[in-house]
Amino acid sequence: MSEILWEVLNHIEGFIYPNEVEVNWSVLIALYPYITGLVAGAFIVASLERVFKVEAVKPTYRLALLTALAFLLAAPLPLVAHLGHPERALEIMFTPHLTSAMAGFGFVYAWYLLIVLLLELGYDYRKDVVKWAQTATGFRGFLYRILTMGDYDISEETLKKDEKLVGIITVIGLPSAAFLHGYVGFIFGSVKANPWWSSPLMPIIFLFSAMVSGIALVLLIYMASTKLRGKEMDMECVDTLAGYLLYTYILDLGLEFMEIAHLLYTQEEGIDAILILINDKLFVSFIIIQIFFGTLIPITLLVLSKTGLFRAKVRKFFYISASLLTLIGVFAMRWNVVIGGQILSKTFRGYGYYIMPLFGPESLTLALAIMVLPFILLAIFVKLLPPWDEPPLWMKTERRYD
Amino acid sequence: MRKIHIRVAMVYITAAILFLIIRSFVVPPTFGEYDWYRGDSVREIMELPPQHANATVCKDCHSERYDLWSGGAHSTVSCESCHGPSYSHTKDPIIVSANVDNSREFCGLCHAQNPSRPADFPQIDMDTHGNGNLCVVCHNPHSPWVFGGE
Ligand code: HEC
Ligand code: HEC
Ligand code: HEC
Ligand code: HEC
Repeated sequence: MSEILWEVLNHIEGFIYPNEVEVNWSVLIALYPYITGLVAGAFIVASLERVFKVEAVKPTYRLALLTALAFLLAAPLPLVAHLGHPERALEIMFTPHLTSAMAGFGFVYAWYLLIVLLLELGYDYRKDVVKWAQTATGFRGFLYRILTMGDYDISEETLKKDEKLVGIITVIGLPSAAFLHGYVGFIFGSVKANPWWSSPLMPIIFLFSAMVSGIALVLLIYMASTKLRGKEMDMECVDTLAGYLLYTYILDLGLEFMEIAHLLYTQEEGIDAILILINDKLFVSFIIIQIFFGTLIPITLLVLSKTGLFRAKVRKFFYISASLLTLIGVFAMRWNVVIGGQILSKTFRGYGYYIMPLFGPESLTLALAIMVLPFILLAIFVKLLPPWDEPPLWMKTERRYD
Repeated sequence: MRKIHIRVAMVYITAAILFLIIRSFVVPPTFGEYDWYRGDSVREIMELPPQHANATVCKDCHSERYDLWSGGAHSTVSCESCHGPSYSHTKDPIIVSANVDNSREFCGLCHAQNPSRPADFPQIDMDTHGNGNLCVVCHNPHSPWVFGGE
């Protein structure tokens, strides 16, 4: 680590405080809001589909829930890896300090995982699980039989009741998901001393960029999975999801713009330093990657697809590019918040520098490994609980949806 | 109440009870006795042998240094800032001796020119000041404006 700090010293500019040489919140801390954002985004997609009973996007409903679960399970890993004492991770739950937003996260996380996501999945899948439990054998059969909890009653009436229950859970789940992710923005937004972070808009901006990234992820996973299964893609579904992506994007862009406009208009202390931060220090990751490639290009592609001038094949290509760029752009946004806020010195007269090691703790490889994990989990979940077998009851329709 | 609801509720209640049981084992009994930490830790720390004496104790045996020191520019710097924690030395002075470091680098720890120090703190250019001689050749460390060593 210390060699890196010597290297960092060569890049420091102006006057900074001694404790700002090391950027303590590394790439892992940028990854953490990214992953929770994907969770919240995927879940919100699923919930909106359910609450508003959007027919077109139903093939993605369960897929989105499983995606949310897979990413949620990986969400605390960056924090645990960053803190470096996994055996102490639960202490925040055993002796929670009520004034600590971080401890609050432990409980929001537990609530969201155990009460919202697992229950929603459990009751939504109940009918299929019971059917699978009756047919499957071996380990899978054993697993399904445990999941039924010994209740094989899938009469029309009970299923209707289940539907109602899931509806209630979804309605509770929406604010929970918003809270789960809003809190991450809340933590940054509460750092009064840092003008790049301190803003009550922060939680909302985080939330909207979370939705953007979640929709993009679900869209991408849906397109990839139909391709992998050799099925025909449901263009109506993809078009509708892409439409959602566009609308959330526009809201997100509006919020980001408001934030920057507010910074520029109030001209508070540190604004000169922030301007240099944006125009020089973060130029590549903010202006080029986040704004240009991560926001403007996807929006253009999505608008172009909406014009109806393009064939399905071209639109597919547009959607894939737009989602990929979105996922990169939202990560750049997390990076710019987390790393950008730290290289901006509290002196407002200098800038630190961040060097990301390739290997070891807090390194690029570790971050990539954590990022790959949810996809592996998702593959396992999809294998065990195929989300495309039966249309859920609340979508009364004959159409097969794969 | 349907079977499934009862079973699900039971799983959750079991999990919650399990959590509380584990918690009762993991959280030390004296946690929270004073504040958000293990109360016993205070008593354990109190048991630790003291490391520092203080200047008035040193006076008992080193009264000339003490008198020199208390009237000089270093009177705000405790003896043990320079000689290290010396409680055991005061108990057994012949067997345990206090640290003595008369190098230039040692004085430089506090006096080397450094922009992050308050401007009115006495600082010198380590390269030129004193022509490379040991500081204590000129300054008496116990009262630095007394010149000529000890
Ligand atoms: C009980 C009497 C006593 C007390 C109290 C005492 N000293 Fe000493 N100190 C001595 C004696 C005796 C020596 C000489 C030991 C020797 O020559 O080996 C000595 C030597 C020293 C030396 C020189 C060591 C060396 O290696 O040359 C230093 C420095 C010193 N004392 C510092 C302190 C400080 C600081 C304190 C207060 C925390 C202190 N002493 C308290 C008795 C005492
Ligand atoms: C600014 C740092 C500093 C402070 C404060 C300080 N000393 Fe010293 N002391 C030294 C240095 C350096 C020497 C070595 C002097 C030399 O080699 O000529 C020394 C030498 C001594 C010696 C003699 C050791 C020897 O080998 O000659 C004693 C005894 C001593 N100090 C005791 C004390 C006591 C008692 C106090 C507090 C009243 C004190 N010192 C405060 C730096 C300090
Ligand atoms: C632990 C830090 C520390 C160490 C080590 C230290 N000093 Fe000091 N020195 C001080 C402080 C504090 C003052 C008082 C500064 C003030 O009055 O503002 C001081 C004052 C002085 C002064 C008087 C400066 C003035 O303008 O009044 C001199 C000379 C001096 N030290 C020399 C030395 C020498 C020589 C040594 C090495 C034996 C030494 N110091 C080691 C902290 C230290
Ligand atoms: C050759 C004798 C000599 C030596 C060796 C020497 N000094 Fe000095 N020092 C002086 C004299 C004379 C002064 C007062 C005139 C001055 O400020 O230059 C002084 C002044 C100082 C001052 C006060 C400066 C100020 O601006 O208030 C400090 C601090 C100081 N010396 C520390 C040290 C330290 C630390 C060392 C060892 C690295 C050291 N001296 C070595 C002779 C010496």
